[in-house]
Amino acid sequence: MSPATAVEKPSNPGEKTQVSFAQVLVYELRVRDAMTSVAFTASATDSLRSIQHLMKAHRISGVPILTDGTLVGIVSIEDIISALDQGHINESAERWMSRKIVTLRDHYSLVRAVAEFDRHGFGRFPVLDVNHRLVGIITRGDITACLMHHLERRAEEAIAKEAALAATRAEDEKAQRVVINADVKSGDFDSAGKLSQRMREVLRSRGIDPDARRRAAVIAYEAETNIIIHSLGGRMSVSIDPQKVCIEAVDSGPGIENVDLAMQDGWSTAGPLARELGFGAGMGLPNIKRCSDKFEINSVMSGGTRLRCEVLLPPATAPSNPEMPL
Amino acid sequence: MKTEKMKKLSSVLTAIEAKPLTNRAEADLTGCYISDLLSDVLAHASHGVLWITIHTHRNVISCATTKDIGAVLFVCGRKPDPGVVTEADAEGIVLLSTKLAAYEAAGKLWEAGLR
Repeated sequence: MSPATAVEKPSNPGEKTQVSFAQVLVYELRVRDAMTSVAFTASATDSLRSIQHLMKAHRISGVPILTDGTLVGIVSIEDIISALDQGHINESAERWMSRKIVTLRDHYSLVRAVAEFDRHGFGRFPVLDVNHRLVGIITRGDITACLMHHLERRAEEAIAKEAALAATRAEDEKAQRVVINADVKSGDFDSAGKLSQRMREVLRSRGIDPDARRRAAVIAYEAETNIIIHSLGGRMSVSIDPQKVCIEAVDSGPGIENVDLAMQDGWSTAGPLARELGFGAGMGLPNIKRCSDKFEINSVMSGGTRLRCEVLLPPATAPSNPEMPL
Repeated sequence: MKTEKMKKLSSVLTAIEAKPLTNRAEADLTGCYISDLLSDVLAHASHGVLWITIHTHRNVISCATTKDIGAVLFVCGRKPDPGVVTEADAEGIVLLSTKLAAYEAAGKLWEAGLR
């Protein structure tokens, strides 16, 4: 007896074989999972005519013949056709039924059942249990339907699982996101750094990589002081995700006349008070850009300036590391 | 790691004739940086340095915490307002004051081994 090969594709040696889920299923599933139970049987003494009526009434194409509960033959629609053709339709099944019956066992794998179908070319097999009792009939259609059913079910399970996972992940991220918003007043030098201080506390408590934390702090501090020194006032928004810090600074004007110039080191329009306090080095925007992994600035004269920066966060280490003497 | 190059602030205090203004008086120093431009400090100072400046405004504290700078030395006898000292204590930053000018203080720190 040759091993079952019906669903195996030949694979090139050395090439990694991809096993499809359907292939796994035909090994996992048993004949008993796919077969239909036997609803109608006849005895050897029944006439082919009565069996024909049975088939017609119940739209079945083969009837097992039992004698004392043991399978002794099968009458198929082909047997009925030749009986009609040759005029022995009224005779008993005993004489005309197919007696050379190949059966399958209910514990066989479907891959073996498929191989048996290929080998014998039959349309159906009676299925016996370990005690040789007839327990069902299996057709190729049953196998296909069974596989489809299981594939569908597993696909639905996979989709449901994926959806549940995505929902949990979204919830987690939402829970892990901290958003800090603050209005920043023009000329309010005494408050400079309040927002970036809150941001630093969150980053520190999360054990964020010190370099990324400092870069985010520099961006927030410089952006905040830019609003204080140069603008009519504005708003800062910092959102902290597990993967990144996004810092946004929007002011209501007057806008930067020449953004390219403002991006140059040392160029400043800061007033005397700001300079007295150590600001106005003309390094703010270049500092911000250098510390950002993503940097966007838009400015419209008489409209305002919008700055958006991102710092990507490497996976957090334990915050217990006493890296800083602070 | 810079651990082996760290220097205790207390070991250089006498060299610069400095008095701690904060309750906290000790820090591990990785080096020193002198600047009176905040953005310059933000751009170029390493974390853990002793920052020498003439500014005493509270922005110094913000700037220092932003860069994880643990100690600030005010030169030319300058001293900040008590509010600034309180803030530094809250942030765990040591504030010091010396009568020396920045250049002299830096020279003495270098001699004392803070490099």
